Amino acid sequence: MDTNNNSKGYSRRNFLRIAGAGATLATLGACGDAATATPTAKVAATTASSGATGQTTTAASTVISAPAVIKSEGETLKIALYGSRESAATRAAIVDPFVKKFPGAKVEYIPIQAIDWSDFFTKVLAMKAAGNTPDLTIVATEGTQIFAGKGLAVPLDDYVKRDKAELASYFKDVHPSLVEAMMYEGSLYELPSEFNAANMFINTKVLGEAGFSDISSDWTRDQFYEIAKKVTKKDASGQPQVFGYQWINRLWGGWLPWMFVNGGNLMTEERAPGGQWLWETFYKDDPAAKNRGGGWRWLQPKANDPANLEALNFVHQLTKEGIAPVPELGGGDTLQGFFASNKVAMTIAGGFWAGGLKNAGMANTAFDVRMFPKWKSQRHQFGAVGYVLMKDAKNKDLAWEFLKHAVTIESAQIYLKGNISTPARRSLLNAERYSVTGPKNWQVFYDTMEKNPDTAPIPAPAEANQMTTIFTKYTGLAMASEMPTKAALDAMQKDLEAVFAKK
Amino acid sequence: MQVAKPTGPGLLKRPYNWIQEDSLAGMARRKALMGYIFLVPTMFGLMVFTVGPVFVSFALSLFSWNVIDPPEFIGVENYSRLLKDEVVITSFSNTAIFVFLTVSLQMTLALLLALAIQQKIARWLRYTYRTAFFIPLLTSSAAIAIVMAYMFNKDFGPINYYLGMVGIPRVSWLSSSQVVLITIVLTYVWQHLGFTLIVFTGGLGNMSKDVQEAADVDGASGLRRLWHITLPMLSPTILFAAVVGVISALQIFDQPYVLTRGGPGDSSRTVVMVIFEAAFKNLQIGYGSAIAVILFLVILLVTAFQFWLSKRWVFYQ
Amino acid sequence: MKSQNVLELPARPFSRVVQRVQYRFWFWLGMLLVTIMAIITVAPVIWALSTSLRTPGQSFTLPPKWLPLDPDFKNYADVFVKIPLATYLMNSAVITVSIVLGQLVTASLAGYAFGRLKFPGRNMIFSLIMATMMIPLQATIIPVFVLISRLNLADTHASLIIPAWATAFGTFLMRQYFMQIPNEFEEAAVIDGATNVQVFSKIYLPLAAPGLAILAVLSFNTHWNEFFRPLIFLTTNDNFTLPLGLVTLFGYLGTGSVSVVMAGVILSLIPVLLVYIVGQRYLIEGIAMGGVKG
Repeated sequence: MDTNNNSKGYSRRNFLRIAGAGATLATLGACGDAATATPTAKVAATTASSGATGQTTTAASTVISAPAVIKSEGETLKIALYGSRESAATRAAIVDPFVKKFPGAKVEYIPIQAIDWSDFFTKVLAMKAAGNTPDLTIVATEGTQIFAGKGLAVPLDDYVKRDKAELASYFKDVHPSLVEAMMYEGSLYELPSEFNAANMFINTKVLGEAGFSDISSDWTRDQFYEIAKKVTKKDASGQPQVFGYQWINRLWGGWLPWMFVNGGNLMTEERAPGGQWLWETFYKDDPAAKNRGGGWRWLQPKANDPANLEALNFVHQLTKEGIAPVPELGGGDTLQGFFASNKVAMTIAGGFWAGGLKNAGMANTAFDVRMFPKWKSQRHQFGAVGYVLMKDAKNKDLAWEFLKHAVTIESAQIYLKGNISTPARRSLLNAERYSVTGPKNWQVFYDTMEKNPDTAPIPAPAEANQMTTIFTKYTGLAMASEMPTKAALDAMQKDLEAVFAKK
Repeated sequence: MQVAKPTGPGLLKRPYNWIQEDSLAGMARRKALMGYIFLVPTMFGLMVFTVGPVFVSFALSLFSWNVIDPPEFIGVENYSRLLKDEVVITSFSNTAIFVFLTVSLQMTLALLLALAIQQKIARWLRYTYRTAFFIPLLTSSAAIAIVMAYMFNKDFGPINYYLGMVGIPRVSWLSSSQVVLITIVLTYVWQHLGFTLIVFTGGLGNMSKDVQEAADVDGASGLRRLWHITLPMLSPTILFAAVVGVISALQIFDQPYVLTRGGPGDSSRTVVMVIFEAAFKNLQIGYGSAIAVILFLVILLVTAFQFWLSKRWVFYQ
Repeated sequence: MKSQNVLELPARPFSRVVQRVQYRFWFWLGMLLVTIMAIITVAPVIWALSTSLRTPGQSFTLPPKWLPLDPDFKNYADVFVKIPLATYLMNSAVITVSIVLGQLVTASLAGYAFGRLKFPGRNMIFSLIMATMMIPLQATIIPVFVLISRLNLADTHASLIIPAWATAFGTFLMRQYFMQIPNEFEEAAVIDGATNVQVFSKIYLPLAAPGLAILAVLSFNTHWNEFFRPLIFLTTNDNFTLPLGLVTLFGYLGTGSVSVVMAGVILSLIPVLLVYIVGQRYLIEGIAMGGVKG
């Protein structure tokens, strides 16, 4: 039985050999654990039936066969996760059904406290450096290419092709933009389970009192500016009472959304070739999947692009006119507090803030969400989240089973309870889900993807950590007016070029 | 005063040899042996868990290693690189300024507070004061980050609010290069004052009451007494507090990391932050180790200097 | 002897009234300073406490609300729902107490050796030990962890306890305490026929009690709040320490309630505070018991 659980290197050859060995042993019935064998048999059965019903198998040139037995008895899956999305109770709730399917398996979550994703990856990498690598790691767009590009994670292509029948309903439920964000050089590394697009959260109490109770998602930057300016309040001594707008100096949801709507970006964008197998297998009839590729490539910095300068000048103007405070670096705990105590009228946030504001004690009618205002376009930015399968994982077959288990509707219902993130599966966004937390306009979350097919992930090359440090550093200097905006972007560009020239 | 009873003739009756010789020399030898034996646990632990890893770190500083691929030997390249790295140089000067401000503020405040608390006041009051100063030391850095981000917030923070009431315009505590280091100093001193205070109260408590009372009777004025009696008597404690203060301040990491993340620009980036960022964020373990080695050498020099200085005025009874 | 010079300072002819006025002045100035500083020091903690008794929406307001009028203990209930606080508390207690006891032993032995015994190489070895204090944890964590794994100690409480026993800081602290104790005690004991070990255990150790108390309190506090090592060394949830478990409350992307975080922080603060209060009393008694004379 030992051969089964030690698939160290994940290659097709290994896979076949192990699968073969597993099959032989299974027939011998030496270690015959009926319960362990059952689920695999089921997977095999569904694969077979999919062939019968005539599912498209075009681009899948190589199909690996499922191992006859997935060893679960005595196996432990270690999963590193950001913060803790689940309380002990909900965590157990997603693990229990999995253990029922794979008896004897243990699943351990390693919650890691971090300020942002870059900080989280830092700590996962520290664990890796110390020889304590998890089997699965929850990774957001910010880190996908670090894990994929540096060979920390393995591609899921072979598994996806093998289990395509089982996964068809999942992909049908997930927008292609989200899937594409999880690809790197033609291969898929994660099944997105959730995402957050940078929408505009509005404090309806503050805006309502100022007479803005009917803001439409179809609004422009100029309208945004007018509203923000009018709701900003100071007392006689110049002490601010309400800011029209506030943001945090970070990559996701910093001032990057303003670049996006103005047609700019921090890095050049192009699509890697490849990935056609995926689009043809799962998105054949979906018009939104047209012209997709094998993942994003962010090869060259273009920080001082004129569109970016214009965007930075705009947010700088907001601060200079006292409409927005100087943005802080960091986690956003104070922003949450200020927004909830009606000191801030509008801010950038995603679906995760529905649960966040509820936790901050805000009534579900006191806030709402709109699309980001239009400038040259209404192209949003988003970040998506999924599990990567680590190269060092000892039992990859079992880990893959967990990975699939985690994106089922049943699991997502459990761990996305309380709306601390936006589900990647559109069928999970419904009135019932948002009835307790709000916002009233929850449709905006998925409409961001559906109505703006050009919406794209934040730029996150393998050097995302260094890139983010440089980006926030010069943004901070410009916003504190310690450097003119143009000079800050030029310096940012110069530093970024040094990082990307090393390749 | 407790003194042990004589323990019988056992020791003296054994055959003489170099270690049991009943002479001054034998006594010195016994004491020396005892010294080595007493050092065993500490030396063993430090060798295995600190000194060994330090040598590994030093070795790593000669490599280029990104954790994922095998390390590559590059000699002193990491060192020549860091001498030209502006961020590293800035971080060293930030840290130097930080250490100077922190230690002088912390020592002065703690000494004054310790003197005040040691006055003739009710016991419970003394306890209460000391506990109050110790509480920040007990709280976790992550929580302090949230609380302090609010306290120092430019627009809605309590500090600027109260400053505003006395007519001082709002200060950009967290977003101005000129001010941010001061903010970090204040946060750090706020958190660590209790430590220095407890060390000083311990030192003052240990001090002879006779000397104090004699000075009282002689009517030495407060300042004179402080300068001529209290400070010299307290000098070993002051040395201790200064050395420990400098060493821990040189390693500052938590406060800027959670409050400002080194910004704006690099104005609050410290050496350990740069080590951490190089090693773990940018996956340049070798480079990070090289900076760590330099930091180690700097601390060594500073401490040697402090001890040299101490020989000149620290007074042991 | 230098102390004699101190005692022979020329007495100045102050009149009693001037003296009393002056004494009062210094007294009240001191009390004023200490009171103001204490208020400033405690204010953020008070804010954290009162925030733990309401929602963030009610907390981030101006003027600041320092006092929890109309307190709501729901956040505390939430802490117990969200994390297994008792398990974490127990783990932290076991680890911290083991470390503190070990450090008291190693540090008093080594501190005595450096402070009171003469042997070849003493100063050099002491400098070496001082030097180890200066390496930042972030620089050695990787080699240490590799070692821990080789010793099969990964994910055990022992992995946190054993490496922390040897303490350069504690050695330094105890050395300073042993050095401050006057020679007369030892001389008297030796004349009475005490052995070297007895001189250490019966004479010096009790006299250094305040130092031990300080070391115990500081070390307890450091290791109770320790975050980085447990984060890297521990992987099983059941082994987690309190600070590691508390991070759970921050929630995903910081969506947890700041108030619940504060409630967790306040709860975790109680044991250390108790240790400090008890330790402080011992410290005072230790000074009295030691009967140190100038």
